[in-house]
Amino acid sequence: MTGWHLDDDTLRRYVERTDSLAEGTSAEQHLLSCEPCRDRVNAAVGVIELSPIDFAAVWERTRDTIEVPRPSVLERLLRVAGLPAHEARLVAVASAFRGVWLTGLAAVLAFATLAAAFGHARGTWLFLAVAPVVPCLVVASSYDPRLDPALEPELVTPYPALRLILLRTIAVLVLALPVLLLLGLFIPTEEPFAWLLPAVGFVAVVLAASTWFSPLRSAIAVSSGWLAVVPLLAARSGSPEAVLQARVQAAFLALAAASFVVFLARRRRLTQLRPWR
Amino acid sequence: MDSRPGDETLLLAVAERDMGAFRTLYERHAGWLAIRLARRCNDRDLVADAVQDTFVAVWQKPQGFRGDGDIAAWLWGIAIRRLVSRLRTRGSVAAVFENAGTAPAAEDQVLLSVEYGDIGQALARLSPEMRAVIQAVVLDGLSAREAAQLLHVPVSSVKTRLYRAKAHLRAALAEGPS
Repeated sequence: MTGWHLDDDTLRRYVERTDSLAEGTSAEQHLLSCEPCRDRVNAAVGVIELSPIDFAAVWERTRDTIEVPRPSVLERLLRVAGLPAHEARLVAVASAFRGVWLTGLAAVLAFATLAAAFGHARGTWLFLAVAPVVPCLVVASSYDPRLDPALEPELVTPYPALRLILLRTIAVLVLALPVLLLLGLFIPTEEPFAWLLPAVGFVAVVLAASTWFSPLRSAIAVSSGWLAVVPLLAARSGSPEAVLQARVQAAFLALAAASFVVFLARRRRLTQLRPWR
Repeated sequence: MDSRPGDETLLLAVAERDMGAFRTLYERHAGWLAIRLARRCNDRDLVADAVQDTFVAVWQKPQGFRGDGDIAAWLWGIAIRRLVSRLRTRGSVAAVFENAGTAPAAEDQVLLSVEYGDIGQALARLSPEMRAVIQAVVLDGLSAREAAQLLHVPVSSVKTRLYRAKAHLRAALAEGPS
């Protein structure tokens, strides 16, 4: 440290930006290595009405930024997709996205796919039974309050629950459907996507049913129902193509549409919202 | 000096996630950093964002300081690049150096010739555009690319202006004070 310091006039001109380039440059070089002079600049910034920014506010924002955990991969993806930061967080904190769940479901599905790939008709039935159930279970777990403790503080703050649930549903489907579609390609039938409309139908039924019961219970009920019906179908027609008939597919589409209407009509009664409304 | 902890001690504490040390570091450096950034960019919101980004970067990577030189210089290096990056994403806001264009008062002229000799006058004679380039590249240590983003001009303009500015300065210094 040298004995040379910025004199008061130079310092004032520097802070007020009334100095010349050479003088300012000299001051800047000196400030980089001189702590006492930096303190004097800081003090001048506080005293003179020339403070370029609101330091207290910037500190608050800095602290807020570093105190939130770094966003997860999914959250960053959602933000890239154009969702505002706070909504991306709300969607991403759902328990359905905590790896374990998805891994477990993927394992079940992979098992069913393998069975289908090797076991022909019976295996195809198995895949047809499991595949539509997966999206509706994952969707339900994405907004069931028992599986997602984070929902409680979220829903205390005024936030349209409908929007939250739909956003999460869409996010889940965007994650789950490509996996299912990919696995479907390994199934040796002409129509590897026969389960798609049933899946959409079941998701809609779960959404509608969760206006009466808890989402997870609804999903389990719907899944059990489907798993019970599939063997009956298999026994009756013997061929998985039965589900492919246009009539059957149209019925699933109608089911989806009707359930969605019910869900929208009854959205104020979403069960997990009751304690907080 | 008094017994207050040095910046390096504070930075070590920040690496240990010490919020108090981080706060002290902010209070010591946010002021002069903001003043210096404001001399590069007239948009106060952008300056505030750049200061915020700088300290967030310090919190996330305090080990980025390798222990060579002043922590203040390290901070400035982060801050000016954060400002450039904010300018790049904002796009429309022009950085300004117009204060460098005001003619220095007679008193300052004397001071300059005493303290900086001919170089001060030589700099003062450069056009504002050339001074801006000299400031960004030579004094702030930015690359031509970064300077181009800061000044909102093509990289090629930065290079030609820098070349011409250096030629001007060389000629001015060679011919001596007029």
